Amino acid sequence: MNAPIIQARGLKRHYQRGSETVKALDGVDLDIYPGEMVSILGPSGSGKTTLVNLLSCLDVPTAGTLVLAEKPVTNLSEDRLADIRRGTLGFIFQKFHLIPTLTVAENVELPLMFLKRPVDRAATQGVLKQVGLEGRAAHLPRELSGGEMQRVAVARALIVQPKILIADEPTGNLDKANGDAIFKLFRKLSVEQGLTLIITTHNLALGHEADRVITLEDGRILREEPGRGKPALSRASSR
Amino acid sequence: MRYLSLACKNLLRRPIRSLLTISGVALAVAVAVSLGGFNVGYRNAINGSIEKLGYQVMVMAKGCPYEAATMMMKGGTGLLYLPQEVYETVKSDPDIQSITPIFVGIAQKEGSGIREDEAVKSFSILSGIEVPSFKVMKPWISFKSGAGYDGGRWFDPKSTDEIVMGFEVAQFEQRKVGDTFYASIVPNGKTQPVLHTFKVVGVLQRTGTQDDGTIFMPLSTAQEIFGRPKALTIIGIKLKTFGAASLREFEGRWLKLPEVQVVSLEQVKGTLVSLVGSAQVMIGAVAMIAVVVAVIGVVNTILMSVYERTGEIGIMKALGAYRSDIFRLIWLETLVICLAGAVAGSLLAFLAASLVEAAIKALINLGVQGSIVAIGPAMIGWALLGSVALGFFAGLYPAWRAASMRPIDAIREGE
Repeated sequence: MNAPIIQARGLKRHYQRGSETVKALDGVDLDIYPGEMVSILGPSGSGKTTLVNLLSCLDVPTAGTLVLAEKPVTNLSEDRLADIRRGTLGFIFQKFHLIPTLTVAENVELPLMFLKRPVDRAATQGVLKQVGLEGRAAHLPRELSGGEMQRVAVARALIVQPKILIADEPTGNLDKANGDAIFKLFRKLSVEQGLTLIITTHNLALGHEADRVITLEDGRILREEPGRGKPALSRASSR
Repeated sequence: MRYLSLACKNLLRRPIRSLLTISGVALAVAVAVSLGGFNVGYRNAINGSIEKLGYQVMVMAKGCPYEAATMMMKGGTGLLYLPQEVYETVKSDPDIQSITPIFVGIAQKEGSGIREDEAVKSFSILSGIEVPSFKVMKPWISFKSGAGYDGGRWFDPKSTDEIVMGFEVAQFEQRKVGDTFYASIVPNGKTQPVLHTFKVVGVLQRTGTQDDGTIFMPLSTAQEIFGRPKALTIIGIKLKTFGAASLREFEGRWLKLPEVQVVSLEQVKGTLVSLVGSAQVMIGAVAMIAVVVAVIGVVNTILMSVYERTGEIGIMKALGAYRSDIFRLIWLETLVICLAGAVAGSLLAFLAASLVEAAIKALINLGVQGSIVAIGPAMIGWALLGSVALGFFAGLYPAWRAASMRPIDAIREGE
């Protein structure tokens, strides 16, 4: 068995709200293996987004350790966390967050500017073809449907060839057909490219399309079960 | 995709807001450039006008230095006279390179003017000169040629009716070589004017100085018809070496003469500059206020834009942007606004220079010839450089604010 690409131990994220301590995440142990497609399910406030924010190095844990692609990422400065994110992680958000004045191709190529990598139009066309938008490169976001915008966001995440793709409620703003299409795309990326995918969703049916399904409740892992995807590669536990 | 391109596209999201901010900067820059252009142009005009006088120092009857300045620049009307012996005495000074005596008088045109409706134009300045020494002082003077002007020459020094007209006065009176010019002169000590008939023997080329509006005649004739046979108005002098020390020495030697003042071009320059100095300070203060207001506008616009794009900035950080990348992007947006404003403002100032000049000249008589607003490449270069410096400072806070956002907070806030 491969070494896990993400290893979390005792991961906690507590917030102070007035005199009250909110335990958004309260001790999660988790191993995710390369090539796995993992869904994180749970009701609102269960800690799904907090968990993926920590796994994405966008937030820092209150306690616990996190190793990402064999690099410990606890207690790093913001710029060092950015170093970890650059090229290792790709992000997809519920609200797409495309730059409205940039074309589809320019939006996709935006991360390359921050990574100081040259723009390769063939590579851009390649990822747009992967997400089925090869004919939309010159369009502006306002000319696209919600499903198309989310696919642009997927292409933007893929252009840097990340090892891990993290999607927080990627189908939250989409209708059923577009939601299904996005999940189908994730499945394809997982099977054909061996990309590691971590997806949070409210949609139980879609969530169970993953290789493994982790359900959170009150900041803890409630259960872990195999999905309808590839056979489970790992073991997750809650403390 | 480059940072500059992204910055420009970001500004185009709110075109009206960006345009208004750029307009504010442009207005401030236009005022500052126009003021700078006026400063430079006015000094150049003073220098040009003084250099074209031909002499660096003049000896004249004691009086107000402002009057002296006016006299020197415009040929003024508050005439005081000094005895011709002063000229004979001063010309022996060893430091003098060249010297010329000048007599200035005012004559009324009688039945010769074609624009009698304008009372102010019914007077002409007559200048009595010694041609050889005057030519040494002003070697650039030449006669106008062409139909009606060919054959122009200086008057005979003993002639009593030959005159040479400056370019503008000849144009105004529509006189050519061979024409007649009538003028009434009240001789000193008399009450009744005497009508004189003169023959135009030459018309001068344009010089851009007060000479263009002057009618020249032999010195002795001018003294005679004005009833001041041994009087002079100005003695123009060029020194062998001109500097503060040599001028002080020269002054020291000749101020001992009664009723004589020695006025240098530097003094005249200082007097003329001080005439508009306070006005320039006022305009400068207005320009400074305009610049400050424009900078506040820029900071406000960029800050608003940062707040509106909080989520986007968070996403950029999530996609791999460092704090420095975000800082650079926002800072570039500020610079683009300031530079665009500077270019527009400089262009506006350049195109409106003639209007500004006409307005200034209409408001105050500055006593100089030629253009008084000079906006050149150096001035525009300084404006652009100044705008970059302003943009640098104006962009610091918004850029720092954007760069300091934690990505997770920014994304949350943006949603």
